[in-house]
Amino acid sequence: MECTLALVGDGYTLVAADRNAARSIICFKKDEDKVTVLDSHKIMGSSGAQADTVCFTEYVQKNMALYEISNGLKLSTPAAASFVRNELAVALRKGPYQTNLLLGGYDEEHGATLYYLDYLASSNKVNYGCHGYVSSFVLSIFDREWTPGMTEAQGLELLKKCIDEIQVRFLVHMPEFTVKIVDKDGVRVLPQPK
Amino acid sequence: MAALAIDRMLDAGARPKEDDATNAKDILGLNVQRFALAPTPDPAQFSKDNFGVGYGTDNHQKVQFAKGTTTLAFKFDGGVIISVDSRSTMGPYIASQTVKKVIEINPFLLGTMAGGAADCAFWERNLGTQCRMFELRNKRRVSVAAASKMLANTMYQYRGRGLSMGTMVCGWDESGPQLYYVDDDGTRLKGDAFCVGSGSTYAYGVIDSHLRADLTVEEAIDLGRRAIAGAAHRDAYSGGWNNLYHMKETGWEFIGAVDTNDLYYEHVHPSHIPAPPPKPTPSNVPR
Amino acid sequence: MSILQHNGAAIICMAGKNCVAIAADTRFGLQQQTVACDFEKVFKMSDRMFVGLAGLATDVQTLRNTLKFKLALYELREERVMKPEAFSALLSHMLYEKRFGPYFVEPVVCGLKDDGSPFLCGMDLIGAPVYTDDYVVSGTCTPNLNGMCESMWRPDMAPDELFETISQCLLASVDRDALSGWGAVVHVITPQGITSKSLKGRMD
Repeated sequence: MECTLALVGDGYTLVAADRNAARSIICFKKDEDKVTVLDSHKIMGSSGAQADTVCFTEYVQKNMALYEISNGLKLSTPAAASFVRNELAVALRKGPYQTNLLLGGYDEEHGATLYYLDYLASSNKVNYGCHGYVSSFVLSIFDREWTPGMTEAQGLELLKKCIDEIQVRFLVHMPEFTVKIVDKDGVRVLPQPK
Repeated sequence: MAALAIDRMLDAGARPKEDDATNAKDILGLNVQRFALAPTPDPAQFSKDNFGVGYGTDNHQKVQFAKGTTTLAFKFDGGVIISVDSRSTMGPYIASQTVKKVIEINPFLLGTMAGGAADCAFWERNLGTQCRMFELRNKRRVSVAAASKMLANTMYQYRGRGLSMGTMVCGWDESGPQLYYVDDDGTRLKGDAFCVGSGSTYAYGVIDSHLRADLTVEEAIDLGRRAIAGAAHRDAYSGGWNNLYHMKETGWEFIGAVDTNDLYYEHVHPSHIPAPPPKPTPSNVPR
Repeated sequence: MSILQHNGAAIICMAGKNCVAIAADTRFGLQQQTVACDFEKVFKMSDRMFVGLAGLATDVQTLRNTLKFKLALYELREERVMKPEAFSALLSHMLYEKRFGPYFVEPVVCGLKDDGSPFLCGMDLIGAPVYTDDYVVSGTCTPNLNGMCESMWRPDMAPDELFETISQCLLASVDRDALSGWGAVVHVITPQGITSKSLKGRMD
């Protein structure tokens, strides 16, 4: 019952996620941040079992930091996606991490990119993506409205349309969203478009 | 007697007696009350378990029925737009791409088909009979409220037996354009816009962000088509052709059938060019 | 629904006269939801050999990586390119290695042998190989694919003719399958080289 959505625009990747932390029929809190900053130019929206999600994202984050320290090199976004996919694939055969991811990043070589990974560890490079039940409402909006090279304002406008639809149609109340953006200057946290 | 029966059916609290509801069918010798039941202690449970229709819920069954759909209908100032796809699947196999999912009950009434194809076709045809009987008895057209209630009552009688039907009953009567949603567990809702079927959520995505009461007829038709195109693209079990109807004061008009694939290239990704073939994985052959 | 059908796929390998072709759809779905239309499931393994992996996408990608790695290592050690016959044996063994927790992938291999004649091989998910000399199919609509190939395939087709046949077989088959389609790629291998084309398919 969670939702993460992301899109690629002109030189940036936007990742958003709802802020509910729920279990069974209870909503514990409405200010959980599900978009992790992996390094200076990578963000990852995650949904799934909270324990798995936190455990996995922290593992990825710390290992990427370690790699950076030991090699003096930062992983490119595709390399990070490949690393994350492999970790998930290995975990798959021994009680998987129940976590679905949207990995967005910016690097000199590839520009702004977005990877869609599910808990089964299949990885796809996409222009926009969405995890959770909400994806069935939101994907058709993306299909219709997304165009290559959207400016930041246009991207946020599209995100607003998606959030509006979620709040109109989806059974679960999702009042708050985290919105993060990554571009050549790094990661920024944006207010939810209202 | 019949008028009385209908009146009683219109009373939301009353559950129709079996002989009232099937009065019309007795006359036609079509007594749907006499469906043979399975000789088991709980025939309802038996048919639910073995003859159910549902995505992922009927995998264990030896028989699987034709299903799969996106249907939608919405009201606007110019009437009601009814837009549907035409795909029918049995498991992953596409059984047909040319199914008529709008049932023309009479010149002022349309029903849409989602869920079990046979269930919808049979019971909406049955509704047609009931509506015609009403007309002959009362010398006036049946209201959409009454027609949808008759269908809902039939569904309520068969609740728990595994029928599968999600339908929109659309029409124009004395009080203007009407739109009702009726499904297999007897739910009946009046509303301004509904999408039903496996691809309904995608259609809602398109409809919700663009539906306004003051759309022109052309805009409304375009919206109906785009919503089905969006759903056909994302939902594996929807596709084929888009059949679109417009309900007006003078009755319904069939606007036309368009290939949903053409709609995709036209609307969803107008600039879609097939991606160049992926670069073959570099081989490690020393050259 | 079987886990093999979770993501959806349709792959054909077909033999011609001194040429082979492999065609695959490009859908990546999660059961009924189509997520991407540019998913790769056919991989070049050498200048004369392709492998097609139909099944669970995660295992498609894992196997692709492992195969690439093993092939690179083989070429470094042996200083020669792996033949399709050996490659099939390798793949078959890799699959059987996971007999009690298999990769959910049914692969097809196609290539040209040393004498330039076609090599075709299909496998189930634990590596039972079948060698054919006409065509081999895999994916979520094998009845459709087999039916199309059965009626369209003829012996000794030239590369152009082979391309046309394999393309039409694939497109017609996926049009009757809900879980595959949304575009396709075709590679034709001849002793002179490889031609790759992408096909415009139905997007519903």
